[in-house]
Amino acid sequence: MAITGASPAAPAVSTQGLTRRFGDVVAVDGVDLVVQRGAVFGLLGPDGAGKSTLIRMLATVLLPDAGEALVLGHSTASEASAITGRIGYMSQRFSMYPDLTVAENLDFFATVRGVPKQVRRERSAALLDSMGLAEFGGRQARHLSGGMKQKLMLATTLMHEPELLLLDEPTTGVDPVSRREFWRVLAGLHRGGTTVVVATPYMDEAERCSAIAFLQDGRIQQQGTPEEITALVPGTLVEVSGADPRAALAALADLPGVGSPHVFGEVVRVLWEGSLASVEGAITTHLRAAGFPTVRVTPTRVDMETAFAVLAEAGR
Amino acid sequence: MSLTRIRLLVWKEFLQLRRDPLLLRLLLLMPIIQLVGFGYVVSVDVRNLPTAVVDLDQTVVSRQLESSFTASGYFLVVARPDAETQLTSLLDTGVAKVALVIPQGTQDLLARGQTAPVGIVVDGSDSQIASVGSGYAAQAIARFNASRTAAFTGSLQAPGIDARTRVVFNPTLDPINTMIPGLVAAILMISLMSIMSQAVVRERESGTLEQMFVTPIRPSEYLIGKVAPYALLAVAQLSVVAAIGMLWFKVPFNGSVWVVFVGLALFLLISVGLGLLVSLISRTRQQAQQALVFIMIPTMVLSGFIFPIESMPEAIQPLTYAVPLRYALTVLRGSFVKGSGFEALATPLWAMVGFAIVIFGAAVIATRRRIAE
Amino acid sequence: MSGAGVRIGAVVRKEFIHVGRDPRLLAVVLIMPIIQLLLFAYAISFDVRHLPTVVVDLDHTPDSAAYLRAYEASGLFDVVGHGADPTAVDTAFDRNEAQVAVIVPAGFAASLARGEQAQVGVLVDGSEPNSARVAQTYSMALNQLYGRALAVEWASTQGVDLGQIGLVEPRLRTWYNPDRASSIFLVPGLMVVIIMIVTAQQTAVTLVREREQGTAEQLMVSPLRRIELMIGKLTPWVIMAFLDIVVIAVLGVVLFGVPMRGDPVALAVGATLFVASCLGIGLIVSAVAPSLDTANMAAFLVAFLPAFLLSGFAFALDQIPPVLEWISRLFPARYMVTISRSVLLKGAGFPEVWPQVAALAAYALISLLIAVRLHGRRA
Repeated sequence: MAITGASPAAPAVSTQGLTRRFGDVVAVDGVDLVVQRGAVFGLLGPDGAGKSTLIRMLATVLLPDAGEALVLGHSTASEASAITGRIGYMSQRFSMYPDLTVAENLDFFATVRGVPKQVRRERSAALLDSMGLAEFGGRQARHLSGGMKQKLMLATTLMHEPELLLLDEPTTGVDPVSRREFWRVLAGLHRGGTTVVVATPYMDEAERCSAIAFLQDGRIQQQGTPEEITALVPGTLVEVSGADPRAALAALADLPGVGSPHVFGEVVRVLWEGSLASVEGAITTHLRAAGFPTVRVTPTRVDMETAFAVLAEAGR
Repeated sequence: MSLTRIRLLVWKEFLQLRRDPLLLRLLLLMPIIQLVGFGYVVSVDVRNLPTAVVDLDQTVVSRQLESSFTASGYFLVVARPDAETQLTSLLDTGVAKVALVIPQGTQDLLARGQTAPVGIVVDGSDSQIASVGSGYAAQAIARFNASRTAAFTGSLQAPGIDARTRVVFNPTLDPINTMIPGLVAAILMISLMSIMSQAVVRERESGTLEQMFVTPIRPSEYLIGKVAPYALLAVAQLSVVAAIGMLWFKVPFNGSVWVVFVGLALFLLISVGLGLLVSLISRTRQQAQQALVFIMIPTMVLSGFIFPIESMPEAIQPLTYAVPLRYALTVLRGSFVKGSGFEALATPLWAMVGFAIVIFGAAVIATRRRIAE
Repeated sequence: MSGAGVRIGAVVRKEFIHVGRDPRLLAVVLIMPIIQLLLFAYAISFDVRHLPTVVVDLDHTPDSAAYLRAYEASGLFDVVGHGADPTAVDTAFDRNEAQVAVIVPAGFAASLARGEQAQVGVLVDGSEPNSARVAQTYSMALNQLYGRALAVEWASTQGVDLGQIGLVEPRLRTWYNPDRASSIFLVPGLMVVIIMIVTAQQTAVTLVREREQGTAEQLMVSPLRRIELMIGKLTPWVIMAFLDIVVIAVLGVVLFGVPMRGDPVALAVGATLFVASCLGIGLIVSAVAPSLDTANMAAFLVAFLPAFLLSGFAFALDQIPPVLEWISRLFPARYMVTISRSVLLKGAGFPEVWPQVAALAAYALISLLIAVRLHGRRA
């Protein structure tokens, strides 16, 4: 795939063989990535997969050891100044001034990014309002709760209306309600045409992305839309309910055609390699025979977590 | 109180210290630097003062007068201007700090038995030079006069005073001999205060202090475990300083080891207490550092470490009694230089006992209360 | 260009907010210099006076009493005790009650009557070398004067005119500081030490703090350029340093009578270059220090200590070992102290201090260049 220049149809981000080492550890290993304009792109993967390093290289904060990254048509290594004014970057750790208030932090970063005074005032009021931070404008950043801190950081990155947002685990440590609000904001940005790249360990957030990539050990395992990814998972996912999960799991272990059996809350989930039609009958029969008379089998949608787990294991 | 737990805490402190190699290197480097700084810079003698001689007489007598000056070793002739007006630029630029002006006709005046005025100019912008330099100059002239008188009255029997001046203790008047003992005390204080306050505050910052409360560790064990390694470290530091002082700078030690031991032990308690108090009022290490600097500078100045207390104005001298370092200095200097024993040093030692009880006691109580909260 | 101005302005404003919200920092920057000034100017003196003296009169004659009274009258020796015997001297010295002891042995008056040199013992406690030396000098002078007075008196009874001996009389003139006030000596140099603390030490820390707080990254991902960030961060400290200079100068002149005899422009130029040099040092430290602790200690080693010990502010540099003398030339404090003293006390102007000004200019330029190169390189 050729990496082209800054025309509107060009991707927001494209990398080729991007590599970065820290001592002996290869954090990012030859990553080829394309993020289309206007996408909400999820970077998924476990801890230590290299998501942060990748995001930081795209944000021009880290220099690559090998390969190239083009962000909004410019090289991160050599043309960083053409990029930095048009992107917003939210780091994993809290990176606001702890002794400055919410309003002061917003104002400072916006000024430094060239947002004119009148616009600053209006936009910060609007942003704080939409994120529920309006009444905390005068509070020093170090006295905010975890969720509010993340929201502050997001607001700061939005003040200059960037074309591309790079978010490094923005919802880690945030309560579920705030998480939902956060994604509501991101959805709004998506509708407005902003490109968003989000690194997250939360598989359920992947569902909300328009495209995702799985990162493991610094390498991209899969890339595509959520539908494309789940389609990669072989077989049908079914839930086995109505029996003690652990006992049922043990009973299913030796049934041929059953893959990746695992306990999921009160049920057992199983990947059935055969067809949809056959799955109910086969499993139900087997379990009833094993002494679980009330067992029920229901097909269910492959979610990201399962998809990732299955694909990761297959990839190993 | 469990010795095992204390040992564990001490081991942890040492482990943390070891993991911070820069800190460790600086800890060892600081005393050396202070030693060099104070040994070679602060305790410098006034000697070889650059002197300009304006000899407008150019006679035997004037030359005798000049050699009376240079013989002492305090004055070093660096310029011989022809006229007094040239002195301005010499002193303005600092080329000369002292000037001797011998007017024309001096020898004649003296031969006629009259008093001959001789000018001594001193650079007052450096008051050490000014006071000491003028003293030496007066001395040189007095010597010159004395030899003239002796030459005249040598044949006559005349009464006079034969004053035998003897310097008791530190006969070489080498400032280093009082600096090193002082430095030993100062290092103990600075080291202990700063590392202790930093260590306690760092634990509070990183949150491990809270962790410690959910263990069986008791507050007193925690305190001992925290203090012991740094006390040991400080002792190591001052041993290095004392050793270098005695071996390199040849500082004599005339006193009793017990006196030094007791004095240092008391001072150690005081310093630890101060370090703890600083850590109590500091939320971050930066604040602890600032508080330390705030305490340190007046302490160094008012304790008599560098600038003698006797020279301080009457109004200021009472303030010096509130500075614990002052007493430590008296004890250490007395012991090193004068060989004073417990009896002679009773007053400062008891003062330190008082300080130790108050400061260390208050620190321990306050810290325990804070930990227990 | 106005974009840069706006950005720098934002950084300056932010820095002032930081300082304003940190009361301890404010104390260090504004209050401590004043405290130091008061301390150094009032408390410290190199003059020796009021030497506590104990006298032991074993002769008990009018002559011995008269001799001992001369000490009292001298103004330097403070007779604090009269001992019955020499052991009293040991006790007095041991207990730090006296620094000088004068012992007049029995037979003092008898020797004088016979026209002999009467022996007197003067003991000086050497554990305070400065005072001891002065005590030696003064007692020698006192004895010579007294002896001469005795000789003249005796000679007149013998019909000899000792006034025939011509003697030299010193006329002492102290330039620049006639009252020999130590404060006048110390204040010009004190300004230097304080500026060093306020600039170098604080700038060393401020940039490291951005790194540790994580905000440095955010700033990287913005149009803010390295040089703009540094100018913005340094400006408040330059302002505060000059504020300190003005305060100290005013206090120095008003409270302590420090004169301003020379060219103020030379002093201002020197001060500006000195501030720039200190900033350069601070920036270099902040660029290489991996953590806040290290930055603090490095700044102390590289900024405070040399300024305090090796600048000539309180301790003379003439007699120190060549190695140290050489090291002192590596730091800007020394040059500024010379400029400060020369201009304030000796009435100097550019013609006298241009070598020091040139040295500072070179220092400022080189250190700032190094700092800009070292700082903010991307990982």
